[in-house]
Amino acid sequence: MADAGNTPAAGGDAAGAGGAPADVVSLTVNGRTIEAPKGTMLVDAAKAAGIEIPIFCYEPRLGAPIGACRMCLVEVEGMRGLQTACSTPVAPDMVVNTESEVAKDAQDGVLELLLANHPLDCPVCDKGGECPLQDRTFRFGPGETRTVEPKMHFPKPLDLSPLVALDRERCIACYRCVRFSQEVAEDGQLTFQERGDHTEIATFSGDPYEGRFTGNTIDLCPVGALTSNPYRFVSRPWDIKNTPSVCAGCSMGCNVEVTERDNEVKRLTARPEPNMAVEEGWICDRGRWGYPALRSADRIDAPLLVDAVGRRKVLLDRAVNEAGGLLGGRDLRVGILLGEPVTVETGFLATELAERAGNGAGMVRRMGIPGHGLGPLRDLPGAQMHHLDAADVIVVVGGDPCAQQPVAELRLRKAHRRGARVVLAGPRPTALDPACQVLRTTPGHLQDAAPAIAEVLEGSARAIVLWDEADLAAEPDAAATIAAVVAGTPGARAIELAADVSGPGLRALGIDAPGDLLAAIEAGEVDVLVTVQADPTTGPDGDRWSQAIAGVPRVIEMATYRSGLTDRADLVLPLLTALEDEGVLVSMTGRAQRLRPAARECPDAAAAWEIIIALTHRLGRPVPDRTPAQAFARLAAVHAPFAGLSYGALGTTGAVVAASSHGGPAPRREAPGDGLLVVPCTPVFGDATAHRSDALASVLEPTRVGLAPAEADRLGVRTEARVRIATPHGEAVLPLEVDSRLHEGAAYLFTGDPQAGAMRLLPLDRGPVRAVVGVVQREEVSA
Amino acid sequence: MTVAEIEQYLAPIRHEYPDPRSLIIPALKYAQGDAGWLPPEAMAAVAEATGFSQAYVESVATFYDRLYVDEVGRYCINVCVTLSCMLRGSDELFEHIADYLGLDGEGTTDDGMFTLARVQCIGACDRAPCLQVDSGVQLGPLEPADATCLIDDLRAEPAPARYDR
Repeated sequence: MADAGNTPAAGGDAAGAGGAPADVVSLTVNGRTIEAPKGTMLVDAAKAAGIEIPIFCYEPRLGAPIGACRMCLVEVEGMRGLQTACSTPVAPDMVVNTESEVAKDAQDGVLELLLANHPLDCPVCDKGGECPLQDRTFRFGPGETRTVEPKMHFPKPLDLSPLVALDRERCIACYRCVRFSQEVAEDGQLTFQERGDHTEIATFSGDPYEGRFTGNTIDLCPVGALTSNPYRFVSRPWDIKNTPSVCAGCSMGCNVEVTERDNEVKRLTARPEPNMAVEEGWICDRGRWGYPALRSADRIDAPLLVDAVGRRKVLLDRAVNEAGGLLGGRDLRVGILLGEPVTVETGFLATELAERAGNGAGMVRRMGIPGHGLGPLRDLPGAQMHHLDAADVIVVVGGDPCAQQPVAELRLRKAHRRGARVVLAGPRPTALDPACQVLRTTPGHLQDAAPAIAEVLEGSARAIVLWDEADLAAEPDAAATIAAVVAGTPGARAIELAADVSGPGLRALGIDAPGDLLAAIEAGEVDVLVTVQADPTTGPDGDRWSQAIAGVPRVIEMATYRSGLTDRADLVLPLLTALEDEGVLVSMTGRAQRLRPAARECPDAAAAWEIIIALTHRLGRPVPDRTPAQAFARLAAVHAPFAGLSYGALGTTGAVVAASSHGGPAPRREAPGDGLLVVPCTPVFGDATAHRSDALASVLEPTRVGLAPAEADRLGVRTEARVRIATPHGEAVLPLEVDSRLHEGAAYLFTGDPQAGAMRLLPLDRGPVRAVVGVVQREEVSA
Repeated sequence: MTVAEIEQYLAPIRHEYPDPRSLIIPALKYAQGDAGWLPPEAMAAVAEATGFSQAYVESVATFYDRLYVDEVGRYCINVCVTLSCMLRGSDELFEHIADYLGLDGEGTTDDGMFTLARVQCIGACDRAPCLQVDSGVQLGPLEPADATCLIDDLRAEPAPARYDR
């Protein structure tokens, strides 16, 4: 599927407008006649024709041009003085000169002044070698300065936050970071203080620059003023290799670029050419600074084998051989459980393995939410993120995209700024609440918002509804009603806020949630359990899994990090992380995109697809693939959603795969028993990656229980630091947070850290569940 | 300075500022009247009363020299050092005042009474060399001895109820 929206210059609605001849303007630039759509800024028109006009402040994603840096001055015949090409729209028969004596003088002058206080410390600057200021100075600058006065000096660097460093003397006051903070993230934190040559970027009263998107200011900075603290002095551009890949931090599927040096991942940034249909070049701080997780202390660095000798490290070849031995018996019943992140190739090869291992009738399941009851929603016409740019009404039903798929928040803010009506329906407070219309529902009663949603959608022409997989799976009645409302609105489309990174891809392969696998394990019908990036013992209904797995004769764990299964497993095979792996992930909007391996930090780890291919060889029935590309070609031939696709067809920005619903009939959902209804929440900086990344230590959010003040009073836990929370599935002792924005009658369970085990308290099918929250006994506190 | 006080002050003049951003300056000036400068809490109160972010309010405050974001003395003595005053001896005048106050150049006296600063033209070239205390009338032409008297007089004054800078 072609992406009409993938042109950075096309601002939202213009993307779909198409170019009728009447809308095209013809003009002359440097003696050449060029054409450009009406309304295009001179700088973009020239760029499209291959003529570079130097810029610093111009960035269409930040809103209207402001002409702050003066770098793009050009001569336009008939206009007095020089014009800023970034803010001058093309006009018929305009004659522009970017290379005349006057224009060149202006470029020289602007660069000489921009550099008047610049320290020229390129040799020690992180930006040196990939710096627009450096490049443009070489290409357009005067080559020398007449400034003899001493330059300004500041103590350096100033930490804007633990993650972002500011070197004030390098700043050219282009306003990009300030505009990002004010107009894109809308956090209002960054401004310029003082005046004239004393102008400097600052936050109120020197407070740290806090947020979920702060790192984008580093990507935006055209000089070395804003740099990443974790990347400071780590590498020079000529020592690194940048690989385009996809962030596996959530189901959003942001396109990223991964920096490798000495076979280590050193940095993760947005791609220089953004994918306008997905992240629009903005990535969240969790994705940006999650990469140190791959050097986390709990990473499994070698295969572990338990045999008569005991538990020991073995070589990978030996481990694969042993695994082949464990899976070889002709009457063995095999279960394979896939977690996240797992590529579609690995999922496909796992199904092939299940046919070749044991009795050839193995079950392959994914950790995730069953699709029962979600069919009507999944059958709605789908949309991509850039369609939000043209939507007139946007409704978010359930979930909290600001926390779960953070970059979606920026797209929603953009739509809201443009004048779209943005409505948030659900039981959780979100970061968008102050800006948008909120339909707060009682936990467990999303259904109540349906009439209001129907009213909001009425008369809309291009509505988009973003619905939360987890919330609507727990409330099938609401799912059915809301699906009917959307289906009855002409032009309305839907985006699923998918709970898992791997869920959409594995569902497209027809791989189901693990309910029947667990039942089979409990019934003693599984002889060998293979897990791939899955630790069910810390997931929903974890205690039941732990008990069940204790009775499985053989467990083979394939994982990157140590988990609750590692000590139980008979064989542990270390896997690569998503940053090191190759394959395809499908985003929540159904966009299949390629992961490309950026480095391989752990020499004894392997990709899951590599191990599975080796296992099929060991089992004597090898699959024909040697690479994920070959596996993908084969799966595309047999799985309809991927029909006609290949790595070549995915290109750099991916392709949309046809949605497949195959959800069964909706079960009746009720939360039995007494207590508070549990509202599962995902904090932005609270997931497993955030807990493993030392870069994110300063923003880490704990796994915790949130209660409304009145509820905390009623339970007598208002002053407790920690509370005990128990559901029929398990219990945990967690920190308490009292927040007046939360509903009474509900326990908001902020999950994330697998170590804290909060997910264990949820039912396996992610239906509604009640919890008893109470005081922690004294002996527990001391323990 | 509370948000309510600032809002009360702004209520009758709001209509004079069709662009609400313009309201920030009178609000800051009013808030500054309390302590003579703008501690972060005062800027935060202005932000709330005007509906702008704290960072934006601070960026406005730091843009203008007469909005003080660092603590200053009871009296701000601003000595003009632009051309006319300089030709007529503003350097000597400034040095004399600094000596008399026991300051090494610009700064605030230890007793918190005076903040001395060099400023650009205050629009009284016919009276060069001149200075201005807070937002008072420009005083000049001044001999060093006149400045001594002025300082002694100010020292004898009771603390003002509100500051007007």
